[in-house]
Amino acid sequence: MMTNNMNSLNGAMASNISRRQLLKTLGAGGAALAGGSMFRPMSALAAGDLAFWATGTLDVGDAWSRAADDAGLNVAFTDNGNDPGPAVARLVAGNANDLFDIGGLQGGAEKELAVQGAIVPWDMSKIPNYENVWQWAKDIPYLQHDGKQYGLPAVINADSIIYRPDKLGKVDSYGVIFDPKLKGQVAMEDAWINSAVFAAMYLKESENQKIGNPGNLTEDELGLVMEFLIKHKKDGQFRTFWSGWEQGVQLVGDGEVLAMTGWEPIVYEGRKRGLQVEYAAPVEGYEGWGNNLVLLKGAVDRGLGDDAHKFANWLLDGFYGCALGEQRGYVVPSDRNVAYAEANASQFDPAKVKALAEHVKAKFSGKVAWQNTRPDNFQLYEEWWQKLRNA
Amino acid sequence: MKSPGLLLALPTALIVLLLGFVPLIVILVWSFWTWDPATYWIRPEFSLAGYEAILEAGRWSVIVGSLGKAFLTAAICVVIGYPAAMAVHFLASRRTALLLMALFTIPFFTSYMIRAFSWRLVLGRNGLINGWLMDLGIVDQPLDWLLFSNFAVNVGLVASYLPFVIFPLILSMQRVEPSLLAASQDLGAGFWRTFRSVLLPLTQAGIFAGFLFVFVMAAGSATEVQMLGGAAASMISVMINDVMRVVNFPLAFAISTLVLIILFGLIFIGNRLFKLTSLFEGFTW
Repeated sequence: MMTNNMNSLNGAMASNISRRQLLKTLGAGGAALAGGSMFRPMSALAAGDLAFWATGTLDVGDAWSRAADDAGLNVAFTDNGNDPGPAVARLVAGNANDLFDIGGLQGGAEKELAVQGAIVPWDMSKIPNYENVWQWAKDIPYLQHDGKQYGLPAVINADSIIYRPDKLGKVDSYGVIFDPKLKGQVAMEDAWINSAVFAAMYLKESENQKIGNPGNLTEDELGLVMEFLIKHKKDGQFRTFWSGWEQGVQLVGDGEVLAMTGWEPIVYEGRKRGLQVEYAAPVEGYEGWGNNLVLLKGAVDRGLGDDAHKFANWLLDGFYGCALGEQRGYVVPSDRNVAYAEANASQFDPAKVKALAEHVKAKFSGKVAWQNTRPDNFQLYEEWWQKLRNA
Repeated sequence: MKSPGLLLALPTALIVLLLGFVPLIVILVWSFWTWDPATYWIRPEFSLAGYEAILEAGRWSVIVGSLGKAFLTAAICVVIGYPAAMAVHFLASRRTALLLMALFTIPFFTSYMIRAFSWRLVLGRNGLINGWLMDLGIVDQPLDWLLFSNFAVNVGLVASYLPFVIFPLILSMQRVEPSLLAASQDLGAGFWRTFRSVLLPLTQAGIFAGFLFVFVMAAGSATEVQMLGGAAASMISVMINDVMRVVNFPLAFAISTLVLIILFGLIFIGNRLFKLTSLFEGFTW
């Protein structure tokens, strides 16, 4: 009995000390010093006040005021840094649920966040605009868990290879990245979240290696992929691994590399600098990614569940898609964007909105491997990435 | 006079204790706790798993490599910084000395990111240096190793942290009695003999302080290696970021603790050997 009591005490201590409590206690001092509030007091919340915590690319600046005009929602946007690791940690073990109502995260962590109780499922009956979301976007893995909808695709796109056609001719395979003839003239991103997927896609589709889902590699598959990358690194294949927009642009713009895996906007920037730069449509397919809306449990606890649903419905209603496309070139996967532009031609050019939508749709007409921020073996991914760094 | 001085220092000491010492204790304690992958959090159960993981995946080699890069950077900074400090202290007029010191602080006016990025433009395949080398006919092809290499990382680190070695050196030179240098020369010692036998020993605390400043900052740097290093190049901070990305807190804290122990050890040994505290002798409250 005594032992049981001690165990219970230990258990209580563990659950009391762990996670939220400890971080909150430690963080409270810092927050107080910073003059900020650790929590949003219920009394300070007005109806329609929503805190949206998402990747910076989802921010539309002044255009958020339209949510107030259209749906009576005062949206306060906060950039979550786009690094899935800290964002997930802050949701599960930190104070994100106290501060924010809706999250916008790169897809993959929904299942774990749901299991941890950090997010709750959307009530799809309250989001009628979801009907207009493109079917293949609805089919993105990770959006559902246990038959419930935890993620809503807010922005989608697909990445491949940026290359110089004047030096390489037409490129249509990730093989160019691993071609010994281009030793020291190619680069990949300094993130396993993308580079492991690209390498896995190449090995699966062009080298006929036994790989199931490039976005969620088993232990053996991961070993195969990472050994492949390590071998090429040791051979001096890569000029560097890049991270961040400026570095990516500089590598291409200053002729440091002739081909690299990366983001399509870098192509546009390269062209602005007068370079011949193309974005490849690889035979192995694109790496698709979705930035998905998740409903934070804290929002429901604070009685903001209905407002959060109203916000999600507004986001898929067309105006936001048009504004985001115009500001950043990103696409909300819904037919409502074109419909909105056609009905409001003085605000947005319907032809441009349509062209952007068709461009992204075309990418997804072939093979796609989905980026996954939380593969099952994500700790192993980090270990292998260290081995690559040290190779 | 001592009591009012101590009283005045008390608030600062408390702030340093709160903002500096407390987080270090937290890092130390959490590095021995158990990480629970099911909850992404740590349990207050003793574990050495974080320290064991340092020996895996070559993590220890990142620590050794980072300390090696930091050592080399600090050594180069001392070698370059010493003559610069001598020029400021012994040769320049008061006005020129101020101008030189202002020039040394210019790097502080820009961010580490911009400084490192600018080296990419200088050292790149189509950068300034390769352009000059090719224009002068010294090389036919651009030198690839100038950028995205350990060489580039060291250039970036030295350029960033050089001022940190110069100011402690000037401080130590100011504490050298001019009569000692004059006496050495009166006794027939030339420049090098005076430098080796008088100036160098009397400024060893400044040399070590400058070395230490640069070493600590270079060991903790990330920007230079990420911007200028080769494919997937790593430093301790980069590795800690990688580990934090998969929220393995005890491992991140174990790496931090190990590095802190090494740095504190270095300070302790250095102080015993070079009497760092002598730099501050003679200061009165």
